[in-house]
Amino acid sequence: MAERLENTRKFQADVEQCMKCGFCGYFCPIYREEHEEKGLARGKDQLIRSALQGEQDLTKGFYEAIDNCLLCRTCVQYCPAKTRIDHAVTAARADYVAEKNLPPAKRIVFRYVLPHRRLFGLALRLASWFQGLLPRGQGRFRHLPQFLSALGAGRAIPDIAPRFLRTILPERSPAAGAPKYRIGFFSGCATEYVFPEIGEMIVDVLRNLDCEVVFDRRQGCCGAPVYLSGDFHTARKMAARNVEAFEDYDYVVTGCATCGSGLSEYPTYLADTPEKKERFERFAAKVKDFNKFVIDVLAADLDRLTLKPRFHGKTVTWHDPCHLARYQEVRTQPRKILQALEGLRFVEMSDADRCCGLGGSFSITHYDVSRKIADHKSDAIAACGADAVVTACPGCMIQLRDALARRNMDVEVLHIGELFTVRPQSKQT
Amino acid sequence: MAYEQFANRLADIVGKANVLASEEDRKVYSYDGTSTWTHKPDLVVFPTETEHVEAVLKLANENRIPVTPRGGGTNVSGGSVPIRGGIVLVMTKMNKILSVDAANLSARVQAGVVLMDLQTALAKERLFFPPDPQSFLGATLGGIIAENAGGPVCLKYGVTKQYVLGLKAVLPTGRIVEFGGSTVKNVVGYDLVSLVTGSEGTLAVVTEAVLRLLPLPPARKTIIALFDDLPKSGETVGKILDAGTIPAKIELLDNWVVRSINRITGMGLPEDAAAMLMFECDGTEDVVEHDSRNVIRVCEEVGATQVLVADDPAKAQAYWKARSAGFAAVFGAAPTVLAEDVTVPRTRMAEFIQRVTAICKKADLEVTVIGHAGDGNLHPSVMTDAKDPAHFQKAQRAVDEIIEAAVEFGGVLSGEHGIGLEKQKFMRRTQDPIFIDLMRNIKDIFDPNGILNPGKIWEDRSG
Repeated sequence: MAERLENTRKFQADVEQCMKCGFCGYFCPIYREEHEEKGLARGKDQLIRSALQGEQDLTKGFYEAIDNCLLCRTCVQYCPAKTRIDHAVTAARADYVAEKNLPPAKRIVFRYVLPHRRLFGLALRLASWFQGLLPRGQGRFRHLPQFLSALGAGRAIPDIAPRFLRTILPERSPAAGAPKYRIGFFSGCATEYVFPEIGEMIVDVLRNLDCEVVFDRRQGCCGAPVYLSGDFHTARKMAARNVEAFEDYDYVVTGCATCGSGLSEYPTYLADTPEKKERFERFAAKVKDFNKFVIDVLAADLDRLTLKPRFHGKTVTWHDPCHLARYQEVRTQPRKILQALEGLRFVEMSDADRCCGLGGSFSITHYDVSRKIADHKSDAIAACGADAVVTACPGCMIQLRDALARRNMDVEVLHIGELFTVRPQSKQT
Repeated sequence: MAYEQFANRLADIVGKANVLASEEDRKVYSYDGTSTWTHKPDLVVFPTETEHVEAVLKLANENRIPVTPRGGGTNVSGGSVPIRGGIVLVMTKMNKILSVDAANLSARVQAGVVLMDLQTALAKERLFFPPDPQSFLGATLGGIIAENAGGPVCLKYGVTKQYVLGLKAVLPTGRIVEFGGSTVKNVVGYDLVSLVTGSEGTLAVVTEAVLRLLPLPPARKTIIALFDDLPKSGETVGKILDAGTIPAKIELLDNWVVRSINRITGMGLPEDAAAMLMFECDGTEDVVEHDSRNVIRVCEEVGATQVLVADDPAKAQAYWKARSAGFAAVFGAAPTVLAEDVTVPRTRMAEFIQRVTAICKKADLEVTVIGHAGDGNLHPSVMTDAKDPAHFQKAQRAVDEIIEAAVEFGGVLSGEHGIGLEKQKFMRRTQDPIFIDLMRNIKDIFDPNGILNPGKIWEDRSG
């Protein structure tokens, strides 16, 4: 049998970093709603430390504490002691799952549905037929009825797309000009099944910026929702498959903040041998968020970006996804793009990098708190007077649409890739 | 005692969701910001209105259940640790700013409001609450009042007790009381507001406070000066104040912290600097201009090796961030850090720091001294490891010597952290017995059954 708490023990140094100052309370979106120490990074740290010292069993109460975290990393960003509580919490979840297994719903989704792309597609297709029975909201959103209140009563959920990305996008999209790079496009589940048009638009932009784009059919779920919930075992299989599919491309580009960080963190959580660590690190170095790739890698001439006519005269604001701003340090790049688009007005909302409260499955298991956290976002969006909120994470988009629909706010939620096209290379160069 | 029987009755008062009794919940309310003290409560209770506190205290008083009030748990004295078990009364859900009265420069807040949230709300009205304990991101006003907290700007603005006009509180017998009022001048009888302020939660549970505010200074400037020997920095502080300038803050950092700032931020400060002073002048534009010229002139006259002036807010912010980083590095530098809070007369500060250095050198211990140089409040921090008994004992002995030296120099053993559990043994050793006797009698009047935060300050913690 594996050593008790073997995953947590790897991050023991992180756990012991906390000096109990309690400053995390100011930054924790959950603590600011609940005001209870168990939700606080310091409280979690003390419980995990206690487990490592053999004074705390992996009880239901322990799981509740470590499960009640968005992994938004806001506290990590400001922690004076630089405590990586996100490492400790994720590893503790893994040890809990190894000893006690996942909650049943997550077990079925993570182990049987997510890893099998065809089955996943079928399940969603089936779900989309049932969705037809749900009351329709604005645009491509429906409202969950009362009897599904476990998933959040009255919540707006996105329609499953009529056609999935892999039936739309060719495997290989040639570069418009002389190819600079050969890149693998990693769509992620939400882009594949809910927002396929965003996937198409991103590929189109990349192609016109002279990249050969391959939508490699071998790709699957990035594994982030799985390993961040503590199922390292299943996620290792997902990682193996994605690394195998993508390691030979120049870059792996994704329009999903969570997938981007999810793929980048394989070495942190999923490498169980030195060889794998090295291989995962090489792979992770190739993973680039769409914004970062356009600005930092391609150093694209932003004059070539043309705002689509329907956005002319609009005011937009930017929502920083946690998995982009704090996980991948991508903050300035999307703002550069938005500010460069002629005909568009860009305004900052207050606390643009405040977590939207989704936290993956957190928004299902803790919908009440998740909704309250999202309401602060709605307030900030309303106050800045934007017509649309732009981001680069389909997860955030689903949460923001739900939050804005609840307030009946007439504000669009857009992926940055939807806003513009790329003009062909000018003749002088 | 079995407290489970009371859980239901408490739930009737505050609601089921506001009474916690699981092993995990008890564990996370067993500590504060210190590394030495922990004790699990039997029950954790969250009141959401003053009447809840009234009913909980009545029940506790009738049944002799110890009650320890707690805010953000950022205190560093052991003050909010429920050392005799019983109930931890957590005030964090009473967190509303009830009113801000700009015309009368006052605000009414519930005890659980976090200082930073208050300052953010006040800044919108160009106001501020001067006391600035450095735990402002987590500390609640109730806790700040209970501890009579200070902070860097207290040199110019004074400490918490100068900014509490009135209190709504509940006595341990379960009686709601209101002390003070909402005016700055008030000499109606004994000043019970000041008595409760700084009583470390042993006399009453504060549920609301009327705070005195000041207009937010429109301008501020940060100046850094480095010195190649410690007495020069002490001399500089004295001369600046003599010249009639009172900066809002004068922070002293020693060589250890200067080097750690360099390591963390790459600021390139002189590695051999014996001391660094950080000043912040605030007020109107012309006052700030005048004061900062004075500060720079004195620093140069006394012989600072380098004087840096932050001309813009971003640079000033970077300097203060560097100071915080240097400060935080102290706590990450060893498994256990014994951070003291002594205060000595300003004129003897340099001499005292040299004594501290000598004490630790003799015992072969690593030490760093940071502090609020303007008011002589110093935080010597001794690096040790509680898991290494021999080393830990040696460190504790050195701390004893440091505190005794502070008293010998005409100072006090705690400037702003409070006694709680942490400084009890020194309290008894250094104070006149009549002082402790008077406190005991006062406590008996407020709390005849001794249920409120028992085992703290002068009381024996074992009960």
